[in-house]
Amino acid sequence: MIELKHVTRRFGPTVAVDNINLTIETGEVCVLVGSSGCGKSTTLRMINRLLPHSEGEILVDGEDITTMNAEQLRLNMGYVIQGTGLFPHWTVARNIAMVPQLLKWPRDRIDARVHELMTLLDLDPATHANKYPQQLSGGQAQRVGVARALAADPNILLMDEPFGALDAITRENLQLEMLRIQKQVRKTTVFVTHDIDEALKLATRIAVMDQGRIIQHDTPENILRRPASEFVENLVGKQDRGLKLMSLRPVRQLMQAHPAPKRPEPGAEGLKEEDNLRLALSVMLWQGAEQVPVFNARGEETGVITRERLIQEGA
Amino acid sequence: MSVSRSESSQLMPNRVIPALGLLALALVWLLDVGTIQPNRIVPGTGHGLVSAVGWGGAALVTSTLAGSILLAFLNLRGRYLIQLALLGLSLALLPLLLDVFASRHLPEDSPFARSSIGAGFWCLLFFLFLMLIETLGRLGSRRGLELLLVVVIGGSWLIFLQSEGLESLSLVREFNARPAKFEQAFWTHLALAFGAVAISAVLAFGLALKMMRSPGWQRPILGLVSFLQTIPSLAVFGLLIAPLSALVAAFPVLETLGIRGIGWTPALLALVAYSLLPMVRNTFVALTEVPENLADAGRGMGMNERQLFFKLKLPLALPVIIEGVRITTIQAIGLTAVAALIGAGGFGSFIFQGLGQAAMDLVLLGALPTIALALLADAVFTMLAASLKPTPATA
Repeated sequence: MIELKHVTRRFGPTVAVDNINLTIETGEVCVLVGSSGCGKSTTLRMINRLLPHSEGEILVDGEDITTMNAEQLRLNMGYVIQGTGLFPHWTVARNIAMVPQLLKWPRDRIDARVHELMTLLDLDPATHANKYPQQLSGGQAQRVGVARALAADPNILLMDEPFGALDAITRENLQLEMLRIQKQVRKTTVFVTHDIDEALKLATRIAVMDQGRIIQHDTPENILRRPASEFVENLVGKQDRGLKLMSLRPVRQLMQAHPAPKRPEPGAEGLKEEDNLRLALSVMLWQGAEQVPVFNARGEETGVITRERLIQEGA
Repeated sequence: MSVSRSESSQLMPNRVIPALGLLALALVWLLDVGTIQPNRIVPGTGHGLVSAVGWGGAALVTSTLAGSILLAFLNLRGRYLIQLALLGLSLALLPLLLDVFASRHLPEDSPFARSSIGAGFWCLLFFLFLMLIETLGRLGSRRGLELLLVVVIGGSWLIFLQSEGLESLSLVREFNARPAKFEQAFWTHLALAFGAVAISAVLAFGLALKMMRSPGWQRPILGLVSFLQTIPSLAVFGLLIAPLSALVAAFPVLETLGIRGIGWTPALLALVAYSLLPMVRNTFVALTEVPENLADAGRGMGMNERQLFFKLKLPLALPVIIEGVRITTIQAIGLTAVAALIGAGGFGSFIFQGLGQAAMDLVLLGALPTIALALLADAVFTMLAASLKPTPATA
């Protein structure tokens, strides 16, 4: 758990972060979102003491971070930055092994861990372990960046616009990847972005920041339904909210389940239980269908979702 | 030289080699290949190509160059390798021309008569080397091949220079008159140049670190080392004599250490002063130009400043630092020759002696090894920097 209590950061006379209070529960993904210069990166960098805070206190698992050794604190916090920050003179494997090496793990434990992480992040160890960062694509390099942050299995993950420099398709892939990994490893994550869609997709709770203050701190659904101010309303997009809400809920919640899973008809197209309602609507519009079958992970048809229900209860 | 360039140009006619070859051909025919002097001081009589080595020798030289030119136009797969073999062999056997020249023209009865190398021969040597370098470039970098060439050509020249045929060569005569002095000059030169580089490297590293820690020192330190660089070298050598003499007079214990107003002490001091600018600047720039986002990542992952320096900054900066050492070494080797003026010894002493006695071959005896040393240092440090490049391969 990370707690920020009345934290302020000044750069000379300017106040970058203004008396903020924020609690990030263990295992949740808190996304700090706002336009550039709103203090979101500053807030993140105060948590691992890359920047000292001017006032207030920051507690990690109940302990004041100023009483801890800064290096020890950071060794237990994965850190991912925009543009990866991979060391160009180290191979992929050595980059991932950075923190375990600093922690003086034995050689074979490091090797096993690097192998495990590369597999987790969908990088083939055989082809990529001995490459240098410049030989990777942007998406691969950022996967290595995430693997490096996870290497010593820290409790906390700090991510500073990690996907900001990537193209739209690669960014989307990595976001899905992150959701998948988060399900497995459950890190307490602080994620900084200026992209509200990214925030809605990844966050368990979003903190909207403006001019050094937290305007609203709530779940994605509540941010969409009950924006605290006009600023938040504009940020999430007034007109667009219906579809954005639909994209937060999985098909499973609204489908009419069959009594028992059925074998699908051959060649039938449909949705997966995890797909969101927005996608369901899109498929219906495209196919001109009143209802679409829903399949589970094993490919069995577990129910159908109807257009009527979607329109009534979707948003 | 990139590999792709050498492959794409493999089948196109090369224009550089024919141009160099034609120039060499013209100059070797127009200029004297060698001169014969009745004794050390009297200017000698020059001999052109035919007169020097006879029609046979002239035909051999001409046909070799013509062959090389023709080869450049041939549409042949392995033509650059053949070219390399031809040029390498020519260079290795070049002293043979001097041997033939001496045996044809040196009067048997006069023990003081000597042969010396003419402008035509130097031009031939120079252009053959340029053609060799061009060929090597076209073949792409092949370390083994380059090493083989150095061994074959260098070895062949050493064997020829020790043989009896070139014993009359005035350069060899000058050497044979003072082999012990030559050896001493070699070690003095080496010790002065590399000593200065080593001392200034340590100093520069310290100064660069100081500038990184306290940015307020950047301007004064860079200003000082730049100022040192602007003083003419001869002036520094001269200016150091008086204060050093005074110092030794005040503290006689220094004299027992070998410190004097002239000799190696002022030379070393001046050389160190001159070496500081390239060394400090390269070290400082290399260390500070490590991208901030990398340092940020390292720090954020839990590296302390010490680990950040040794694991990130130093490895990334090392090639640029070595580049500074390379420039400094070449400069120091050249400047050490000038330091002979204040009695520091080294190859420069032959140059100034030769100038005083109007014996050009003695000047060459000092100049040629100085050049060779500088080239050697250049090659070694270039290789070192290349092997330490932090990012060996890019996609």
